[in-house]
Formats: sequence, structure tokens, C-alpha cells
Amino acid sequence: KSGRELGTFCFQDTGVGKSSIVCRFVQDHFDHNISPTIGASFLTKTVPCGHELHKFLIWDTAGQERFHSLAPMYYRGSAAAVIVYDITKLDSFQTLKKWVKELKEHGPEDIVVAIAGNKNDLGDIREVPMKEAKEFAESIAAIFIETSARNAVNVEELFQKISKQIPPLENPEVDSNDSFKLTRQPAPSARRCC
Amino acid sequence: MAAEDLPSEFDVVILGTGLTESVAAAAFSRVGQRVLHVDRRSYYAGNWASFTFSGLLTWIQQHHEEPLPEEAQDWSSLLEEGEELIHLSHSDCASIRNLQVFCFTSEEDEEEEAPNTTEEETGGAAEDSECADSTEEETKETGEEEEEVREEEEVREEEQTTPSAALRQSEPTKKKISYAQLLKEGRRFNIDLVSKLMYSRGSLVDLLIKSNVSRYAEFKNVTRILTYRDRQVEQVPCSRADVFASRQLSVVEKRKLMRFLTSCVEETEEQRAYNGRPYLEFLRDRQLGDNLQHFLLHSIAMVTEDTPTEEGLASTRHFLRCLGRYGNTPFLFPVYGLGEIPQCFCRMCAVFGGIYCLRHSVDGVVVDRDSNRCKAVIDSRGQRITCSHFVVEEGYVAADRKRVATPTRFLSRAVLITDGSILPSDSDQQVSMVTVPPIAAGCPAVKMVELCSSTMTCMPGTYLVHLTCQSVGSAYEDLSPVVTRMFRTPESHDQETCPSVLWCLYFNMTDGSGLEAEGHNLPSNVYVCSGPDGDLGHELAIRQAESIFQKILPEEDFCPPAPNPEDIIYDGDNTSSSAGGEEEKEENDGVAEEEKQEEEKEMLEEEKEMLEEEKEMLEEEKEMLEEEKEVLEEQNLQTEE
Ligand SMILES: Cc1cc2nc3c(=O)[nH]c(=O)nc-3n(C[C@H](O)[C@H](O)[C@H](O)COP(=O)(O)OP(=O)(O)OC[C@H]3O[C@@H](n4cnc5c(N)ncnc54)[C@H](O)[C@@H]3O)c2cc1C
Ligand SMILES: Nc1nc2c(ncn2[C@@H]2O[C@H](COP(=O)(O)OP(=O)(O)O)[C@@H](O)[C@H]2O)c(=O)[nH]1
Ligand SMILES: [Mg+2]
Repeated sequence: KSGRELGTFCFQDTGVGKSSIVCRFVQDHFDHNISPTIGASFLTKTVPCGHELHKFLIWDTAGQERFHSLAPMYYRGSAAAVIVYDITKLDSFQTLKKWVKELKEHGPEDIVVAIAGNKNDLGDIREVPMKEAKEFAESIAAIFIETSARNAVNVEELFQKISKQIPPLENPEVDSNDSFKLTRQPAPSARRCC
Repeated sequence: MAAEDLPSEFDVVILGTGLTESVAAAAFSRVGQRVLHVDRRSYYAGNWASFTFSGLLTWIQQHHEEPLPEEAQDWSSLLEEGEELIHLSHSDCASIRNLQVFCFTSEEDEEEEAPNTTEEETGGAAEDSECADSTEEETKETGEEEEEVREEEEVREEEQTTPSAALRQSEPTKKKISYAQLLKEGRRFNIDLVSKLMYSRGSLVDLLIKSNVSRYAEFKNVTRILTYRDRQVEQVPCSRADVFASRQLSVVEKRKLMRFLTSCVEETEEQRAYNGRPYLEFLRDRQLGDNLQHFLLHSIAMVTEDTPTEEGLASTRHFLRCLGRYGNTPFLFPVYGLGEIPQCFCRMCAVFGGIYCLRHSVDGVVVDRDSNRCKAVIDSRGQRITCSHFVVEEGYVAADRKRVATPTRFLSRAVLITDGSILPSDSDQQVSMVTVPPIAAGCPAVKMVELCSSTMTCMPGTYLVHLTCQSVGSAYEDLSPVVTRMFRTPESHDQETCPSVLWCLYFNMTDGSGLEAEGHNLPSNVYVCSGPDGDLGHELAIRQAESIFQKILPEEDFCPPAPNPEDIIYDGDNTSSSAGGEEEKEENDGVAEEEKQEEEKEMLEEEKEMLEEEKEMLEEEKEMLEEEKEVLEEQNLQTEE
């Protein structure tokens, strides 16, 4: 099987459970007081998908979303975006629409968008009806699922759905053009272009 | 949005998200300072920002609007005994002026325009009449600009009388991209307000690598260096390989150039004798010939005719040092544009707990009268935020409080979207640095950067061209003569082979190098950062950020490496517990790792030098063989005769 890296990022306002979902997916772990100092550049997890292995590189925001100040550089080159809202907070569903707009403006064109209604273990204090959210997701051709990071409900499924929607790689050669990261060692230098 | 309140105490408050401020923010946050980083704008990077096409149109519009009269809010209720308030400026307009926009392509796709006409034919009348509307619409600003439009229309009328529809051949050519298409594909553009390149051994690249901020961005090599000379665009051979491969240079010139480049690596008595005298004179006396002299002065040293020799030689050495680290030229360019770089540093700051607020400003600085120190700031929502230090971009500081060079210096900028490369080659994905010496006496030397679509700064099928110079007049006055000569616009004549300008923008920006380092009328714990300067590299901004950091925290390391994600091991369920201790360990690891890597780097560099020497020898041998071959060929010819 061939491996493939999928840049994915999670966003929405603070408190909806982004970090908890990521933590549940990658480490199958839930912590009530998730600490911002855990410190990982991005968390990774590999999921088999057909003939490919999809390695999710999940970027969590470093808190820049707290005051609606996420830098556009977060979206660069991402294959998928997960927009999380809290089903017990109508507000979080309203700001979701703002994030969708932001994504349409700044995100990559062919990005796969998934909407996750988190904390569905708290159904008795629900403020966002599932039907309404589902219809909204359909209207923007996004994946929709309700999750609970706490009870490990549908978190795996969320990423599987994303995995299925990622278009197969067309031409891996063209894709890897000559941009590179700067490292301490001199880069594989002078790949001449002419 | 549910307005969350900001914490009311920080170590450092930073206003402005330009490069200098962002580097400082990352540095402070990295060593554990509590940082609040705000910007009154809705985007990151201030005058260092890059925009999508529509984003740029919005920016243009904002800078055309009359600034609202600034009425200072009365925050006196937030002040205590013995305190006073220094008001900060809110207007964004002072640093940008003389904006002019021209659209030279059709507003909409014109279906009836047969796609099968030759370049020459479409070049003249047909196109020009198409774009009349959009040009007018774009430039309805000031009276001055209206004049410009009229001038263009005259040109157009003249051209329309020339018979153009004579022969319509069936040779298919690509249709010119319309304004509607530019708008539609606008997200593919990342148009920088400043135009700079990164020297592969410059302080920015070193800092990105040292701090690990480099992990947030990707880069491309500038693939070639061009120069404009005798109305021609030529490629400048700059590496040894280039020199040997060059078809423009004779064997004698090649040898002279090689010898010169080798000789100037070390400082010699001979060179010192020219200190204070123009570099041009030094070059002349080396009897290199016009070709080489031009390349060396304008494209390699990138100095003017009166730059002193020691400065010219220093630039030449810097250029040579930067060659071959990553590619064939000394320069790198970040994918998605330069505006990414400040964002990368902001991200590093956020990772270490820095708090970010755009659309949020600081209204005033609370000063303790006795100590003349800043105790707190009042933000634009009237919250008093205590801080030990305040770092601020110069644009926010009132003119009477800062010391700047007089008269104010400006940079002239032009941004063009074109439909072809200025020097077409086998690959249509070249990134070119172009030096344009003054086209007439008294005109400025222009630096030009041509970006292709794979840099993710423009849509496929177009090129993004940035022109920059020290302003003499307005940006339009300084740069449009160069544009008209090197590109096809309605004003240019017989330039059928040049790429067409589809859309362009001219503006002036305050030159950040005019800000004095010291002597501002501000409390001692307020630090002013300058905006972008006109240099090609980023030395000023990085130097300034480091010096501010060292003034505040002289004992601390500036941007030590952040730990690598690979080094952080998640041992199953014990993930979030030991955060504090772990962090320290990681930091130490980081330092040790850095030392190891430094050593490795040095070894590699030594090895490289040896290899290079070897290569040089081989190349010399090759050169000799080539000469021999030439002689033999000549003999051959003679025997044939
Ligand atoms: C499940 C999870 C949830 C998280 N939630 C948050 C959150 O809500 N808010 C938040 O600000 N960060 C949070 N983090 C921290 C997270 O490490 C990064 O902020 C984020 O993943 C993106 O940073 P990066 O890729 O640039 O990290 P990297 O560049 O890899 O980070 C480099 C190093 O910085 C250190 N570091 C990272 N974050 C901090 C911090 N906040 N304080 C001190 N040191 C740090 C760590 O040692 C880390 O290894 C979370 C991390 C995880 C794993
Ligand atoms: N009941 C419940 N609480 C959750 C769930 N997911 C997250 N939380 C809680 O919501 C709060 C915010 O979560 P966090 O992951 O930090 O949100 P973030 O700011 O979006 O990253 C934390 O107190 C979590 O414990 C869930 O599925 N169910
Ligand atoms: Mg979080």
C-alpha cells in the first residue's frame, strides 16, 4: 500500500472540543482539563483507505482562534478541514457559518470540509437540532456527523468519512514540485530546473 | 462574537504584526514571557502582508478613503495619580500614498473574439478598445489620474486608426485573460506589498532555521538572475557552472570573470587602495569589458555607479557566499509569498502561549510621570492592560514623537499581472530576479522580481511582477517608464514580443530605513519597530527585533530552537500530565541537538569546500580542453578550405 499524507486542520471557537476530538482520535484518550502545553506540532494517525494509507497530520490551532485571529497560513496545502461546533451552544453553530465563509475565501479550493457536532453525550441540553445542522452541511456539500469526544462516539467515523472523500492522487510526480523546507543541513541542493 | 475579555496583565504587549514585531513576539514568547500581540487591521503582517486579488482591491479601496478624523477617546478615568496618556494613531494612511490602478485587459471574456488570431494582430487596436471601460472604472480617484486615463485614450485612438484586421491567420494563440477571470481566480493570488528575497545565508534564513520556525513554511529557489541592458533582457551567469555554460560570454570573458570572482573572496591590498573610490572605477581598472562590468556592478553587487569599492566588494562577497547553498542563485522565495513569514513567527508565538487579537488596537500608553516608564496600555475597547514593555510599529506613533530622517524617504512600488515571462525559456516556471539599471540619468535603479504560478502567488497562465526602487518622484513617475519599455501596455510601442500587462498597481510606501534607532520622545520601555525598507534582504527587520529583545532580556537566548514534534514521545495514556518538566527537558535536548547539528554543518561545509576546489580544478581542465578543441576545429576548417 502506498502512504499519503493528508494535512487536516480543526477549527472553530475555543471550547467546542477540537483538541478533545483530536486527542480522542489519535490517542483514544479523553481528559477533562486538556492542557494547552501538551505540545505537539501536529498529531498524526494513519488510516487505511482502499489501496492507500492515509496519514492524517492534524493541526490544532495554538489558541489563535480565541479572538478570531487565525492566520491564513494554517490552511495552506490542507486536504481537509474539520469544523467543530458544540451541540449545546447555539452560538457555536452560528459562528460555524462564519468559519465556512472564511474557509471558502482563504482555504484551498478542493478541500474536503467536515462538520462535527460535538458533545452529543449532552443531548438533554442540546440547543442545535441535528436536522438543521445536517441541512446546512448538505447545502455546502460538507460531511456531517455528530460526535462525542468524551464517549468516543463517531470520532473514528468522522475521519473515515473524510478519508473516503479524499480524491485519489492523480499525478504524484507533478504534485511534488521543487519547493522545500529549510533544514539545518544544506538542502538537496541545486535541483536544476533547466 | 462573544467578546471574551483579555487577561489584564502581560509581560510584553506588541502592537503591529509586521516582520519585526512578529519576530520579537516569537522570541519573547519562546523564552516564557507572556505576550499579547494585537493589530488594528483585519489581516496579519501590516505593510508586509500579501493579499488575494480581491483582498488587494479592498486594501486599495481602504487607502483611497479619507481617513476619519481621529477623535481621541477620553480615557482619563482609567488613569491614576501621577500618570499621563500618550495617544497612538489609528489611521493607516500615512505610510501609503499615490495609489494608481490600471486595467489593460477586457472586463469580461469576449466570446466573439476569435481565439485564432496572431499575437501581433491582437496586440494593437482590438484589445485596447476592450479595456477602455475597466481602465476608467479602476482609476476614478484623483484628478491627476484622470489625466493619465485621457492620455491613454489618445494613444488608443491613434492606434485604432492603424489597419489591424488585415490578415487573420488561423494559427491559434491563447486568449488574453480577462479581468473577470482574474477576479474569479483571485484566491490563487498572494500579492505582497513588499518585494524582497531571502538571501540563502542571510539573517532571516539563519533565524528561521535556528528557531525551527522554518517548519511552518516552504520555499523555492529563485532560478535565475536577469538584467535589462540595451533594451534586452539577458541572463546573468553567476555560479561557476553558469559561467561555463554561458553562451553570451567569450572564453576570454569567462576566464576573466572566474578570476575576478575568485580574487574578490579575500580582501587584498589592491582592493583597499580603492576604499572610498567608486566600485565602478575598481571594476574598470580590472579591464573586464562592458559585459562583465555590467553584470558585476548591477546584478551581482547590485549597487549603483557611485557606490564605494569596499561596499561593492562586500555585496559581491555576500552574493558569492549565498550561492550554492540551496540552488543556483543566492536567493529563496517563500511559497505563498512573503506575507507568510510574519505569520510563521506569530504561530510560534501562539504555540508558546502568545495571545492574538486582530482588529484590535492600543489607544494609548499609560506613562508614569516620575519614572517616565510605560506602566500599562489602554486598548481600543477601553481595557487597561498592565505590561512591563511595549513594542510598537512606527505607523502607530504620532509624527512628533518619533525621530525619522528628513525629508521622509519613500519606496516606489509597482505590481503587475502579466501574461508571459519577460524571458521565455524551456520551463515556464522560473522565478527571476531582474536588475534594471537607471534607464536615464537621474532615474532610480529598479529591482524587479518575476514570480511564476508555482510559487502560489498568481493564477496559472500569469506572472506576478514586483518592481521596487527608492522613490525620486511618485511610484508611477519612477516605474511606469520601465514598465512601458519592458512590457506591452497601451502606451508602449513596437513591443509585440514582450508580455502584456493585464493589470497593474502603483504606490509609494514609507521607507522603514528612515526611522532612527534612538532618540524618540517615548518612555524608555517603549520600543519602535520600522516598517519594510528598500533592501532586497531582511537584515534590518531581523537586526531590529534582536536588538529590542536583547535590550529587554540581555541574558536570554534569542529564538532558541523549538523542540521537534518527532522528539515528543506520547507514551500511551500519560500525555498531558508532566507538561512542565517535560518542557524543560525538551528545551535542553533542543540545545544539545543544535550543537550537534552545528558541528555536522561545519563538517559538511568543509567537505563541500574541498569538493568545490576539486570541481574548480576539473573545470579548469575542461576549459583548457575546450580551448584545444576550438583550435583543432579552426585547423579543421582551414584544411577543409
Ligand atoms: C490535544 C492537544 C490540544 C492542544 N490544545 C491547545 C490549545 O487549546 N491551545 C494551545 O495554545 N495549544 C494547544 N495545544 C498545544 C499544541 O502543541 C500546539 O499549540 C498546536 O498543536 C500547534 O503547534 P505547533 O504545531 O506549531 O507546535 P510545535 O511547533 O511542535 O510546538 C513546539 C513545542 O512548543 C511547546 N509548546 C507547544 N504549545 C505550547 C504552549 N501552549 N505552551 C508552552 N509550550 C508549548 C512544546 O514543547 C512543543 O513541542 C494542544 C496540543 C494537543 C496535542
Ligand atoms: N461532555 C463533553 N465534553 C466535551 C467533549 N469534548 C470536549 N469536551 C469538553 O469541552 C471543553 C473544551 O474542549 P477542548 O478540546 O479544549 O476545546 P477546544 O478549545 O475547541 O480545543 C473541555 O472541558 C472538554 O473536556 C464531549 O464530547 N463531551
Ligand atoms: Mg484547543
